[in-house]
Amino acid sequence: MADNFQNKTMASVMMDYEFKMKTQNERSKVEDLFDYEGCKVGRGTYGHVYKARRKDGSDTKDYALKQIEGTGLSMSACREIALLRELKHSNVINLIRVFLSHTDRKVWLLFDYAEHDLWHIIKFHRAAKANKKSVMVPKGMVKSLLYQILDGIHYLHSNWVLHRDLKPANILVMGEGPERGRVKIADMGFARLFNAPLKPLADLDPVVVTFWYRAPELLLGARHYTKAIDIWAIGCIFAELLTSEPIFHCRQEDIKTSNPYHHDQLDRIFNVMGFPQEKDWEDIRKMPEHATLVKDFKRSNYQNCSLSKYMDRHKIKPDSKAFSLLQRLLLMDPNRRITSEQAMQDPYFSEDPLPTQDVFAGCPIPYPKREFLTDDDQDDKSDSKARQNQQQQQPNTQQNQVQANNHDHAANNAKRMRMSGQNQGNNTGGGGQQEFHQQQQMMFGGQQQGSSNQQQGNFQQRF
Amino acid sequence: MAGNFWQSSHHQQWILDKQDLFRDRQHDLAKLTEEEYQKVFNFFASIIQVLGEQLKLRQQVIATATVYFKRFYARNSLKCIDPLLLAPTCVFLASKVEEFGVISNSRLITTCQTVIKNKFSYAYGQQEFPYRTNHILECEFYLLENLDCCLIVYQPYRPLLLFVQDIHTQVQDDQILTYAWRIVNDSLRTDVSLLYPPYQIAISALHIACVMLGKENLKPWFAELNVDMDKIQEIVRTIINLYEMWKSYDEKKEIQGLLGKIPKPCPAPQR
Repeated sequence: MADNFQNKTMASVMMDYEFKMKTQNERSKVEDLFDYEGCKVGRGTYGHVYKARRKDGSDTKDYALKQIEGTGLSMSACREIALLRELKHSNVINLIRVFLSHTDRKVWLLFDYAEHDLWHIIKFHRAAKANKKSVMVPKGMVKSLLYQILDGIHYLHSNWVLHRDLKPANILVMGEGPERGRVKIADMGFARLFNAPLKPLADLDPVVVTFWYRAPELLLGARHYTKAIDIWAIGCIFAELLTSEPIFHCRQEDIKTSNPYHHDQLDRIFNVMGFPQEKDWEDIRKMPEHATLVKDFKRSNYQNCSLSKYMDRHKIKPDSKAFSLLQRLLLMDPNRRITSEQAMQDPYFSEDPLPTQDVFAGCPIPYPKREFLTDDDQDDKSDSKARQNQQQQQPNTQQNQVQANNHDHAANNAKRMRMSGQNQGNNTGGGGQQEFHQQQQMMFGGQQQGSSNQQQGNFQQRF
Repeated sequence: MAGNFWQSSHHQQWILDKQDLFRDRQHDLAKLTEEEYQKVFNFFASIIQVLGEQLKLRQQVIATATVYFKRFYARNSLKCIDPLLLAPTCVFLASKVEEFGVISNSRLITTCQTVIKNKFSYAYGQQEFPYRTNHILECEFYLLENLDCCLIVYQPYRPLLLFVQDIHTQVQDDQILTYAWRIVNDSLRTDVSLLYPPYQIAISALHIACVMLGKENLKPWFAELNVDMDKIQEIVRTIINLYEMWKSYDEKKEIQGLLGKIPKPCPAPQR
């Protein structure tokens, strides 16, 4: 790479030819080792994720190959590699290997493949609920999910790693195989700076960062990420698992602003929780946006709101153990919110049914497998496999519309992994899937609130 | 990440054996004596230090960059990559890993140019810094591969602060920390960061600091530590040897000759 001009003037060669050749020969290329073309299962600000198999057949496991967005080593890529290289816990995604592609300067990460995630699982339940159908899952599933999330976060927190971006889409669940029904926490917000926690993932990030799981102190301008912020998000996820509704659902607009203060999101939180009393959160006065809060909000508007009423409406009794744990996770004052360790000691987990390692507790998994995505921006390299996908997918226009307009629910948009019939053939629960396939169509069919709002429409139906 | 050192890649992969290290250096030691080899690394550690200071990096980042540099050459000859290119590459990578933020490419190159011109002209004369962004980026991939993606490096600074806190319950003396901190910085000019866990380096630095300051009364504190004192003595000796070497060494006079002697990368064969 040292060009001739410089060689002449400086007589310096940056790299030894023999060394370069030797490393090049020893380096394995991702495309030589894995089949993944046409098998994209996810795309988002982080890059692209493919479902992959080893070419040499030395095992027949599925792998997840993540091609990191952009080229070279961004700071988030560096942090991700650096931290995942060190982290080892059964509930945290395991980085198997890193591939550096020198020719196009792409970075690839190899993980175990997780067939499910909470975003899809919850979506499946919502769809069933909307159609007055029930989904057969073990009684203790939500408890098992929550316990494993807490276990993983406790491990991260005791290593002083903050997740910073917990939401259902980042909680993966392993499908059939040796780790069946095991939670894997993924996609830590590696890029967020300590002193600018709300800066969206650089400016390369055109998509909305969801605010639904964001703790009130962040919305009021807290300058630092803390463990308590992760705990709030876990509380939100817990509530969503219990009710199939995002507890702090809020209309989302493009959040390109660096201002953390978000009126509508706070309003939504107060509508569920009630307005915080001074005695419940003494330091609220010290929050950078406290003055704005006082100016914008009237306590009296939230007089009749409380978490217990909200959960009661969703058939979670205020005297249940689940509710009492939820309340401790969703305390407005970050200093009072419990730690992951305390949460794991909560009586909820010692009450029957006990949490299980396999969250499905050996029962059939009712959720469909991930479907392959098509490349909207495919170049001429696009192979027939990908075209096949396109044909098999549901009305493609819909997908494009959602993508074209990222004003709505873009967290999901970013993580959009379509489900339905694609893999029916090799799924034992094929019949159920067929049914879901239809359900999904109905779900979308029933929402005519504007073409770009299908997904959000589902939520609005209830609020 | 302030995780568990004992389960870290640093502990499991990068505490090297002295004999192995020596053996892997044979190629370079055919051209340089051991002392000359050390002087060369001393010089590049200075470049990294000055670069880091110019870029206003924290000492932690500078130390990590220095360890990357040493790890690379622990497994490779100096001829594989020109150390003048690898040094800024290590700084660039470390600043990202340590969440300092990305140093802009142009700022990195400009800083390299000024630093080489203004601070190291005694080594490079009128030569300009010869590399550009694309060289650094290419080199960075090679560095990451050779580090086997082990980017989290544990440094002696944190354990040092903890030990000093503990000492303060017995003896109040701010000088101890100041001295020991500088000694840890100096230890980056030796191989100890490749051979010993950071807490042992911290204790050794404290030990030297206490001897320098004549803190006899801290002997019982050291005696009570549950640590392999032979290792501490080895580290202490290595650092003292460095100080001995510095006494009779004039880098400004010798370094050009030494840089001339180091094995250089060979270009692709001409057709």
